[in-house]
Amino acid sequence: MSGSIQSRAAQQGFGRRGPGLGAPTEKPKDGRQTLRRLLAYFRPELNYVIYLALSVVLGVAAGVIAPRLLSSAVDDLVARDFQAIPPILGMMLCVYILNGVATLLQGFLSARLGQRVIYRLRAELFGKVISLPIPYLDNHSHGDLMSRMTNDAENVSNVISSSLSSLFSGVLMLVGTVVMMFSYSVPLTLLTCVTVLLSVLVTRVMSVLMRRYYLKRQVLLGQLNGIVEEKVSAAKTVTAYNLQDSTIRDFAETSDALTKTGIIADVIGNAMGPLMNMINNFSFVIVAAFGAWFALRGMISVGVISAFIIYSKQFSRPINELAQLYGQIQTAVAGAERIFSILDAESEDKSGDSVLPIDEGIIEFKHVNFSYVPGKRVIHDFNLKVEAGKKIALVGSTGSGKTTIVNLLIRFYELDSGTITVDGVDIRNISCDVLRDAAGIVLQDSVLFTDTVRNNLKYADRSISDKKMIEAAESANCDKVVAALPDGYDTVLTAAGANLSQGQRQLLTIGRAFLSYPKILILDEATSSVDTRTEKQIQNAMVKLMKDRTSLIIAHRLSTIRDADEIVVMEQGHIIETGTHEELLKKKGDYYRLYMTQFAGQET
Amino acid sequence: MKSLLKHLKKYWFLALLASGFMVAEVYVDLYQPRMMQRIVDEGILGISSGGVSNLDLVISTGVRMLLIVILGGLCGIGSALFTNITGQNYGNDIRKACFERVMHLSFEQTDRFSTGSLITRITNDVTQLQQLVMQVIRGFVRCLMFFIGGTAALLSLDLSFGVIVACAFPLILIDIIFVVWRTNPLFTVLQESLDRLNSIIQENVAGIRVVKAFVQEKREAERFGEANRHLVDTQFTVQVMLSFLRPVMNIVLNIAVVGILYVGSVQVKQGDVAPGMVMAAITYISQILNGMMMLAMIFQTLSRGMASARRLGEVLDTESSIVHDETLSPAAGGTAGTVSFRGVRFAYAANGKTVLHHIDLDIAAGETLAIIGATGCGKTTLVSLIPRFYDAAAGRVLVDGTDVRAWDPAALREKVTVCLQKSELFSTTIRDNIAIGRPGASQQADGFIRQQPQGYDTPVAERGMSLSGGQRQRIAIARALLKRSEILIFDDSTSALDLKTEAKLYEALSRDYADVTKIIIAQRIASVQNADRIVVLDGGTIAACGSHRELMASSPIYRDIYDSQLREEATA
Repeated sequence: MSGSIQSRAAQQGFGRRGPGLGAPTEKPKDGRQTLRRLLAYFRPELNYVIYLALSVVLGVAAGVIAPRLLSSAVDDLVARDFQAIPPILGMMLCVYILNGVATLLQGFLSARLGQRVIYRLRAELFGKVISLPIPYLDNHSHGDLMSRMTNDAENVSNVISSSLSSLFSGVLMLVGTVVMMFSYSVPLTLLTCVTVLLSVLVTRVMSVLMRRYYLKRQVLLGQLNGIVEEKVSAAKTVTAYNLQDSTIRDFAETSDALTKTGIIADVIGNAMGPLMNMINNFSFVIVAAFGAWFALRGMISVGVISAFIIYSKQFSRPINELAQLYGQIQTAVAGAERIFSILDAESEDKSGDSVLPIDEGIIEFKHVNFSYVPGKRVIHDFNLKVEAGKKIALVGSTGSGKTTIVNLLIRFYELDSGTITVDGVDIRNISCDVLRDAAGIVLQDSVLFTDTVRNNLKYADRSISDKKMIEAAESANCDKVVAALPDGYDTVLTAAGANLSQGQRQLLTIGRAFLSYPKILILDEATSSVDTRTEKQIQNAMVKLMKDRTSLIIAHRLSTIRDADEIVVMEQGHIIETGTHEELLKKKGDYYRLYMTQFAGQET
Repeated sequence: MKSLLKHLKKYWFLALLASGFMVAEVYVDLYQPRMMQRIVDEGILGISSGGVSNLDLVISTGVRMLLIVILGGLCGIGSALFTNITGQNYGNDIRKACFERVMHLSFEQTDRFSTGSLITRITNDVTQLQQLVMQVIRGFVRCLMFFIGGTAALLSLDLSFGVIVACAFPLILIDIIFVVWRTNPLFTVLQESLDRLNSIIQENVAGIRVVKAFVQEKREAERFGEANRHLVDTQFTVQVMLSFLRPVMNIVLNIAVVGILYVGSVQVKQGDVAPGMVMAAITYISQILNGMMMLAMIFQTLSRGMASARRLGEVLDTESSIVHDETLSPAAGGTAGTVSFRGVRFAYAANGKTVLHHIDLDIAAGETLAIIGATGCGKTTLVSLIPRFYDAAAGRVLVDGTDVRAWDPAALREKVTVCLQKSELFSTTIRDNIAIGRPGASQQADGFIRQQPQGYDTPVAERGMSLSGGQRQRIAIARALLKRSEILIFDDSTSALDLKTEAKLYEALSRDYADVTKIIIAQRIASVQNADRIVVLDGGTIAACGSHRELMASSPIYRDIYDSQLREEATA
């Protein structure tokens, strides 16, 4: 990746590290709107939604009826009406099985529904991310983007697959239970409601307390993970600078703080269970005492009391669950909001009328001006014409705008003013796909993918024959690298290509670019970690390969560019010199001075 | 594994206390249905008083029950407190021990574990282990108590209820075993497909320029689609499997309730049992079966936790191979700043490939030695042996005449500074990044640092990704120079510098660091030609060694390198 762009992007971006550490509960900005949009994802799955709703209704109905049957069985038991009991038991059996089957169906349907929705959401998000324009990606933290695609999507997925049906059944259960309770005894129901209110109150107080500590813990956990990630990844530097002891001390400090907060948070969390248990028992005593009093007066039967004991349990459970669900749903909606904000970002404009393949490779820059940040111009009135089949080199110090020229040429960034033409056509009128297909690029940061060497080399086109692939590998001198790998071309490269050295990775990316048979080859510091003899061999191969093709080379090492047909010396976005190596040396200008620095003292 | 248990030892009392409180809490939970039964039977139904409800009894028993329940609740909170103190402190101990161990591992050991895996172990696996310990202390005791106590209480009511438990028990056991058996292997698959999906996202975000430049958006979307599909399908299977657990258990549990009612009705008819007992029995049986359900969940934590424990045990049981060998005595009279290689051979343990063959080399104090050679010829490996990042497979490496194994590693690294090929920066300010060498002013990076919006106090974001390669290198060089060690090693650490900056650096080195021993790995002839001696490394052996002039005359490889860079211009 280009150094100058990175640093500029970061200068604007300092401090804007995304909301990576998800708070336990976050408040979405416009919850209603987001929720509505999220629900729209369910529209194509309408039949699943309907089946799910039906199974929930069935399950809840069975759940509500069962205690009623139980209570009448107990009544009969007390009344010693033993004939009436077996039929009731038979009905109970049916209701329970129905309930079980309905829950089973619910589990199946909600899992299917959730996975279908999340599959589409994730695919859409990924499709969006890779079609975002480069400026967007340069200006947003990659860690933040990653966390939206993984954490946020995961949260949304969890809520969809589990919480939604729990929410639905919870509400139904609540309504059903209340109706049943009222139908038995109004005063007992009202009494039960008092205890429910009590449990809601306790839940609220506790959750406020809990949230504070969970939030604190979340922050500390983020810090701790950050330390681990950074220090373990940079273990070599830590060791080289004898920093182990101070690093371990820092880590222990954060780790201890995390433990302390964690204990408090979890003790509060774990106290919820016993507290709820106390309240439930309190509720039981109230129901029993008043029940007995009512029974004494003949207002209710004893069976009603046993039914009430079950109902009051059934009543408080969904209330607790709903309180919990509310938090989960809020977090998920906040996540969905972040996902949607990416989906709403404008995609890269890849349009262009000209879809004809580029066959000459004539490039012309005319009065090109460009700035990454308005007002801070990095390219000033850049004029350059590159004839087909020529090799052009760009030299200059870091920040002189070399990589920016490449970014502009393949439409990663839009010009401020001026035009760039390829084969006489303004690149804004050439479709991005056509333009980029014609260009083969090797970047300084050699990006390889977790895949076989073969697929990495044939990245541009899988249908290329192995024969051609091996030819290209030989030209790029990476055939020896591949030969040393355990499975040759079938070796799977690990994520960061850790099993290869920096130089070896560069050779592979060069092979990959060669294999795309580009009309325009762009090498941006592509051989900085390759030794010069190997580089020489690659250059010799390139001469043959790039016959009739245009190449644009950026390098610090002058030996890399000496053969160029034209060398362009840049300084702070201006062209200060152009010419061949010999011409520029004769001129004794900036290039000459650069050359002399490199070889200073050599001939003495 | 042993080392994990060792850390647990000091918490035995707290763990015992936590379990004790848990037993008390469960005991109250089990005792409470009996009081409920008394309230229903004696109070409401008035069985012993001839069918007249006794409100006083209901209230007095009710109040007693509440008090006991509150006591139970307090025990529950106490158990939570001690469990968390035990579990989280234990997790903290393990976490710190692992981190400390990782920081002291040799590079080879770190490479073998892989950085990513070490990070997951210290973060995820510790959490899993912590969960495991807490589950065992609390959950396991709780379930067992519920199960044993519930069964005993049920049987004490009436033995005939036992038949129903005996019938329901195997059914639930089969359900649990089936689900655990089917889902456990799936969890590994699930983790793998999640890893795969995340790595595709990560690669695409980081490599977006390549994806776009090669116009591969469509194919990457397809690749992602496959991984997405796989993950979703696995997740679905796991969820369906898990959703089996509860409904099946519920059905069994509820059938058992019906069974209790039936048996109860027969008993009541015979006059053996009071109706309230039937209700208590229903409560007990749901407690027993719920206990089993919790057990199923615990088994899942257990199998996951055991896998984590194994991974953490591996780390803790790995003794750092870089230890100060006290049996080797430091050589007397060695000259400070000298480095010697004596018949050194090196092979990476990972693939067993020999990288260096029989290296013999003496570097004098204050000498500038350059190393040049093809990509992958062993240059970095050679210099990594000096500060003992790795140990030689054969032969000896001497610093100041003393075998590096006889040095205290920290003292050795104080003496030897390596400016690594990859400039790793930390997420703090530029000033702090430079000052890890030694606090003070800075050198080559000064110019650009002053250009940064906040100068030296500019924060370095995301491990230095906000700076360009050249800028990162300058900071890394500045901190190496500031450390002022006697032996300074540059491992191809000037590759991203522009020519002027690099030339200035070498000028500064020969001027201000004249008495420091300097070892420089480089690609450019210009970078190495002023060295006192140049070593040409080829295929892991020293192909030639001498000054620029000597090598030009004697070494064909060196001349070849020279030609590849300078060719006819040398004579121009």
